[in-house]
Amino acid sequence: MKNLTPLAQTYLDRFDTARESLPGHDNPAVVALRESGLARFASLDFPGRKVEEWRFTNLSPLTKGIETTEAPANAALPAAEFETPHIMTFVNGHFSANESRLDKLPDGVKLSSVAAELDAGNSALLGSDAEDKRAVVALNTAFMEDGFVLMVEDGVSVTEPILIRFLSLLGTGTNAHHMRNVIRLGQNSAITLVEEHAGIDGHAYFANPMTNITLAADAKLNHYKYQAESNTAFHLANTDTELAAGAVYENFALTTGARLARNELESRITGSGAVSILNGAYLIRGQQHADTTTITRHLVPENESRQVYKGILDGEAQGVFQGKIQIVPDAQQVNGDQLSRSLLLSDRASVSVKPELEIHADDVKCSHGASSGELDEDALFYLQSRGIDEKSARKMLIDAFLADVLEEISNDGVREYFAKVTARWMDKV
Amino acid sequence: MLEIKDLHATVGGKEILKGITLSIKAGEIHAVMGPNGAGKSTLSYVLAGRDGYEVTSGEVLYKGENLLDLSPDERAAKGIFLAFQYPVEIPGVPSATFLKTAYNAQRKARGEPEVDAMEFLKLIREKTKELGIKDDMLKRAVNVGFSGGEKKRNEVLQMSLLEPDMMLLDETDSGLDIDALKIAADGVNRLRSPERAALVITHYQRLLDYIVPDFVHVLADGKIVKSGDKSLALELEEKGYAALSAA
Repeated sequence: MKNLTPLAQTYLDRFDTARESLPGHDNPAVVALRESGLARFASLDFPGRKVEEWRFTNLSPLTKGIETTEAPANAALPAAEFETPHIMTFVNGHFSANESRLDKLPDGVKLSSVAAELDAGNSALLGSDAEDKRAVVALNTAFMEDGFVLMVEDGVSVTEPILIRFLSLLGTGTNAHHMRNVIRLGQNSAITLVEEHAGIDGHAYFANPMTNITLAADAKLNHYKYQAESNTAFHLANTDTELAAGAVYENFALTTGARLARNELESRITGSGAVSILNGAYLIRGQQHADTTTITRHLVPENESRQVYKGILDGEAQGVFQGKIQIVPDAQQVNGDQLSRSLLLSDRASVSVKPELEIHADDVKCSHGASSGELDEDALFYLQSRGIDEKSARKMLIDAFLADVLEEISNDGVREYFAKVTARWMDKV
Repeated sequence: MLEIKDLHATVGGKEILKGITLSIKAGEIHAVMGPNGAGKSTLSYVLAGRDGYEVTSGEVLYKGENLLDLSPDERAAKGIFLAFQYPVEIPGVPSATFLKTAYNAQRKARGEPEVDAMEFLKLIREKTKELGIKDDMLKRAVNVGFSGGEKKRNEVLQMSLLEPDMMLLDETDSGLDIDALKIAADGVNRLRSPERAALVITHYQRLLDYIVPDFVHVLADGKIVKSGDKSLALELEEKGYAALSAA
């Protein structure tokens, strides 16, 4: 047997003890699911850099085992800044009813915890990932402890966004959280979801959320994610979305947190008229590493995908963008656009970009573009020559760089919230 | 107002200005003419304080103060304005935001109260009207997608808004048709007053038909080789720079 990475070995060693306290432990279907996940994880291990998809992101700081760091004591639970009547909170990997407010959700919307569903034996709603080749997804299947299940019936729209918070605080439990989330939107339903991942700086932990989304015909999901994990945390997230005809998925990921983060999104477009929009911004500094990896699969004709990602990197930060657009044979009349731009505020910051178009149909329109550069010195001088001091001038230009991607956020409240968060980040530049 | 004394400056290690001496009093308009590569733009950038334009010797006094010690924004707040030969496009920054920020930054630096959005709008509308500029330009990003003429007109708009004491015009006429040239010149002439001065840098005499200078200087190879009144410009137009250099 080959040698596993130290962290992978720890998971294998721990499984037998851990399973007894994981949800659904007395349900044979859940147990079988976990065991198959573990077996796949054991054969896969965490990917090394020889794996093409992980060429630019080195997981060894994680896989050699997380060092326990001194973290500020008694750090308070950060209060929710985004205002909405519907809040679901997970603290250290477990649903916290006290910190949640779910009584105002309208009829036709069901929001429950995965732990409760697994305890009730409802493992079928997770679907099967027996063919999945992603190690962290397999690990999630083996160790999933909680998460949310959002079911929306046909024709139901919720106006106010639903906020889901994942908070990692010091205290009880392990330093790893394998959250499993399921979203299913019925035909012609519409919902806005804001996902927030936060931790206390200095607290080292591993967050491994896996989210499975199914959008029925003409469903619309606005899915916004703010990743503000602790600056010593690892965050490896996977979000898979399946879009039926006429469905619209709008995702925007704002990343400012984690020492090492990878946000991986896979859209499977299975109906005509569907639109998959994956946008985002990452603002990183110091030694942070942020990887965005997207796969958009156009599996039928006549649909559309769009992606715009912008990165602002300071210090020695490293950014990665890998975007794959796949158009299968006969998926004609498809539009796919992709753009990745980054702004390097320091000579030591860097970005690796890998766009990939895999097109097997001839009547399609696809584009991709990538650029990275520093602040425009000419523009900086121009602003200064009009009386604007250097710091303000830099801020104006950074704001301008980010402005158009934030404009893509169709929900006003979220756009304002993200603008506020990014402005705070920029105050420290 | 502006005293330039034996100014030497390098760009990228290469000496471009080789000892310029020039005195500009309040109320005067000076034109600096010269062939390409003479150092005209370098002079304007040095005066505005651009990074990478290094003064190796000499001094510049502005209203009795050492100008070279000031950052570009401090110079602007004290009344120096450079109208760029190539105005910079700034995607994502709406013109109105840019103008208001600049206007208030200068007021703040001078200890004057900042104006609010309503007051500013009123002010800027007066200026655009004077210069025949469409208000929709204010909504567009700074200089982005502007024609050459629009860019130059935008420079003049900024100048009329900021009301500088010392106007530096770097080849404001380049790329302008005659109508645009008249509008630009008109903007400058409106600001002409006994308290203000201007340094007009140009390759051609044409602009000086509209902005009539008190003095004309010829810059060649980093030095002022000849000075005179406005008739010198006409002479240059007729005989060319080559004749002058040969003399």
